[in-house]
Amino acid sequence: MLEEFHYQLPWRTASAHPGRHAGKHSGGEHEFHGHAPLIARPEAHNIDIHASLLDPFGQFMVRTFRQRGLISVNIIADLSASMSFHGKMKTLARFTELTAYSAYRSGDHFGFFGCGQDLLPDFHLPPRWYKGGAAELVDRLGQFDPDDSHCRSLLSIAEHCPRHRSLIFLVSDFHFPLHETAEIFDSLLKHDVIPVVLWYPQEYRNLPEWGLVRLADPETGKDRQLLMRPTLKRKIIATFEDRQERLKHLFTRYGRQAFFLDDTFQADQLTHYFYEQ
Amino acid sequence: MDLALSHPWVLLFSPLALLSFFGKHLPALRYSSLSILPFDPLSFLLFTLLKLTGAGVILLLLIALSGPYLKEQTVQRLGQGAEIVILLDRSASMNENFAGRYFGGAAKESKIAIARDLLGDFIKRRKDDFFGMISFSTAPIHVMPLTQDKTATLAAIDATRSRGRGVTNIAPGLAMALDYFQERPLTGSRVILLVSDGAARIDLETQSTLAQLFHQYKVMLYWVYLRDDRSLPLDSKPANANETTSPEYFLHQFFQSIGIPYKAFEAQNPEALQNVIDEIGRLENKPIQYTEKIARQSLAEYCYLLAISGILILLFARYFEIKSERLLFESNSFSNR
Repeated sequence: MLEEFHYQLPWRTASAHPGRHAGKHSGGEHEFHGHAPLIARPEAHNIDIHASLLDPFGQFMVRTFRQRGLISVNIIADLSASMSFHGKMKTLARFTELTAYSAYRSGDHFGFFGCGQDLLPDFHLPPRWYKGGAAELVDRLGQFDPDDSHCRSLLSIAEHCPRHRSLIFLVSDFHFPLHETAEIFDSLLKHDVIPVVLWYPQEYRNLPEWGLVRLADPETGKDRQLLMRPTLKRKIIATFEDRQERLKHLFTRYGRQAFFLDDTFQADQLTHYFYEQ
Repeated sequence: MDLALSHPWVLLFSPLALLSFFGKHLPALRYSSLSILPFDPLSFLLFTLLKLTGAGVILLLLIALSGPYLKEQTVQRLGQGAEIVILLDRSASMNENFAGRYFGGAAKESKIAIARDLLGDFIKRRKDDFFGMISFSTAPIHVMPLTQDKTATLAAIDATRSRGRGVTNIAPGLAMALDYFQERPLTGSRVILLVSDGAARIDLETQSTLAQLFHQYKVMLYWVYLRDDRSLPLDSKPANANETTSPEYFLHQFFQSIGIPYKAFEAQNPEALQNVIDEIGRLENKPIQYTEKIARQSLAEYCYLLAISGILILLFARYFEIKSERLLFESNSFSNR
């Protein structure tokens, strides 16, 4: 059985399609909005007797409602070579699978944008309603070995995103410069962007204490030889923690806290994430 | 310090040392992004040192292969001993024993055989002496110049096994022995060790020349006179004052008249000869200054030794290498390997 998570949003969707999220449009009969004169809203079945009696002008008042609409849940994934580290693509595939399935279960649209140097056509799902999730995409993601040297298309991804405000999971390791991160978030201001930071403890916490190692950067093709020792390991952990602080600080400016993803992640953590907001 | 190489062309391969800077034997493990990792000076230093070690090892091996050596050197030494020229009588009479009989060339008791054995012992016991050798009979034979090479001296002594011939003609032998000291710096006692069983008449002119040379070169003379039973002792004045019958007496007189340190030993039997040689050994133990030649020394061994220590360092470093992602990510510490 697939895990799923539930997301609730502090904003109203502009979508006219019926769904389970609070919408901007009036209509339906679930979410009470206010009262209007019968002349303005000739909907006799919604006449509120109590409000009509209280009306100083003696008009008939009707209850107005807002309709519930669907949103589009999108994943914008950084598919540059740095994401090839260890099992990050597997985790991304699992995260995609869960998100697509949860979106399907909530009746929402799901979209996927894989960003390398350019938007990768193989990893692009336009936001639609995909029955049962996006199993095929997930399979391909799990086997994909990204080798693009930069995720430049992230900077222009906004033009591919839905017109209306949508929920966007921006999944990346955020190993690119902070100002580029800020640029991406600036371009996506219209949307509700949740930064999903995909870090593995192997990158820093689980490094060996001792040993000679040559690490290669898949994006630049350079490599560096390191004498691993407890001091250096502590230094690397400190660097990562410092970067984490900076990222958190940056994300807070754009309204959402970061969700830190690693290989041990559970769907319930995401549910909790949305409750906590 | 004179260094030289026996096969310098091997050094043409020395650019191979750069291999250690280009080779990447340690597999590069995929990491997410190096740009966020802090620069580590110690790692940089260590790996630079390891590369230098590798280059050094290659260079040292090449140098070792090219055969470096220290050139032959001469060293001034101070020892105890003398420059001794052995002037060995090889006349026919030396083949006889002390009783004056001839037993054939291989006889052990012949005077020459006994003299040979004892001289051999003598040379072996002396440490820092220079030995030269001349055998003489009718004419002197230049056998070996003054040298410290004992093996050569012993071989020269040993080479007197062939049967002696001719008569004892002593003056040219002495002249040649004195000639050995010509143009040699005076660095210690100089001795001519005359081993003979007889003598010959030396004319007056030659006598004065010899005496002059003895003085000029400051040479001491030891005469080991192998007297057989038929001859007279050196000191006993012959009844017939004729040089032809007892030239030994007159030669003895001449030697004494030169005015150089001179000592005559009469050896009438093998034991006496042994005593004589012992006494010479005791007498000639004055300091001698000499130059010693040190043969060229190969330095390849040291290069190999250094190279091996470098290789050991590299092997040690290799033990700590993390060669696969599995090792990198699944071991929390090196000891878990």
